[in-house]
Amino acid sequence: MRLKHTGSVEISTDPEAFEAFYRRHVEAVTRFMARRVDDPHTVADLVAEVFVAVLDSAHTYRSGLGSEIGWLYGVARNTLSAERRRTASELRLTSRISGRRLLDADDLLRLEERLDAESPVRRAFEAMAGLPESERAVLELVVVDQLSIPEAATALGIRQGTARVRLYRARRALRHAPGVTSPTVMEGLR
Amino acid sequence: MNFEERLLMELKTEMSERMARGPVRRPMRRRLLTGVAVAGLAAAALVAVPMVMGTESSAYALTENPDGSITLKINEFRNSDQVERDLADLGLKADVSYVRPGKRCAPGRFTTIDEPSFTPEELRSKDPGVRKRVLEAMEGTPSRQAYDTVPGGGLKIYPEKIKPNWTVVMEFTENDDQTSGPERPRALWQFLFQVTDGPVKPCVVIDDPSWDVIGPEGLPPAGS
Repeated sequence: MRLKHTGSVEISTDPEAFEAFYRRHVEAVTRFMARRVDDPHTVADLVAEVFVAVLDSAHTYRSGLGSEIGWLYGVARNTLSAERRRTASELRLTSRISGRRLLDADDLLRLEERLDAESPVRRAFEAMAGLPESERAVLELVVVDQLSIPEAATALGIRQGTARVRLYRARRALRHAPGVTSPTVMEGLR
Repeated sequence: MNFEERLLMELKTEMSERMARGPVRRPMRRRLLTGVAVAGLAAAALVAVPMVMGTESSAYALTENPDGSITLKINEFRNSDQVERDLADLGLKADVSYVRPGKRCAPGRFTTIDEPSFTPEELRSKDPGVRKRVLEAMEGTPSRQAYDTVPGGGLKIYPEKIKPNWTVVMEFTENDDQTSGPERPRALWQFLFQVTDGPVKPCVVIDDPSWDVIGPEGLPPAGS
């Protein structure tokens, strides 16, 4: 197999590169958050936080380690877990850019529609709640966020083989759990 | 203007303020030096220096790691014969070729022991299911088990995955233009790494029409 390596991009210093990166991914990041959080204001805050974190950690992106989206989802996961460790008021204090302040009525409506659209997925997350964290993380990224296994491995900073094993275990664990398994989770299972 | 546009403006403002402030602290760096990583890094640093091969030029660096793996870092694409000799000193039979951008070695000069074979249709398929299956099968081949890529351009080779009678065939191509970005993505370098238990004929250089094709995830169309 031949692999091609594209260069790492200075997205934190080149405004044009950053804008291109932002436009490529803002939709995906919003959906990522809408699948996990059910309040539009918090989603807006988190989307803003993710891209601020991108500016902070762009130097950690190495194209050789996996795809851009895999890396970005890793950043999004870290942002979300940091948020879950804090209370809402703290988040608003520490955040350099307040996402919710940038929402107008139309945006709010749009976000709420998106949240409605993602609600079956949020229920699927509940079905996965009993899995060990390491396995659940892989299942989430592959099944819910539709990342490839290599991308999910990049997002989690683990080897592809490890990701594959965890995915297999998670699916096997959920296979015989009647009532908890949503079709989304079992997608691709024989 | 909607939320996405307003947020982009805010972010760009944040960016220019940062640049005006000068180089930023990089808090993420500290994370590299926590837990298990510390032990691994320290051990590697101690062993790395004396293990670097003496005969090499600065064109590449060959390092034996404490876990038995070998890191091959290529700085300049010359002197592939010396790379072969140095790898032989480490007990690894290798056939290394550097080829110019847009070129490759003609196929059929050796027979790989990798089992899974796919039809050209499967390899070129855009269907996510087929792609995934092909990619996974490729990941599991004896060749793929024997190396990893190293950030910044290099390979980590696992000799314990390579049987004594096997030869490692490596082909490297480096782009003259080392800039790449979202506006104009291009391959900086590409390589082929396969193991064979048979003879390897010399590389006959031919055109590689896939050189300029970049697929999703920075991968070329599978099978090129």
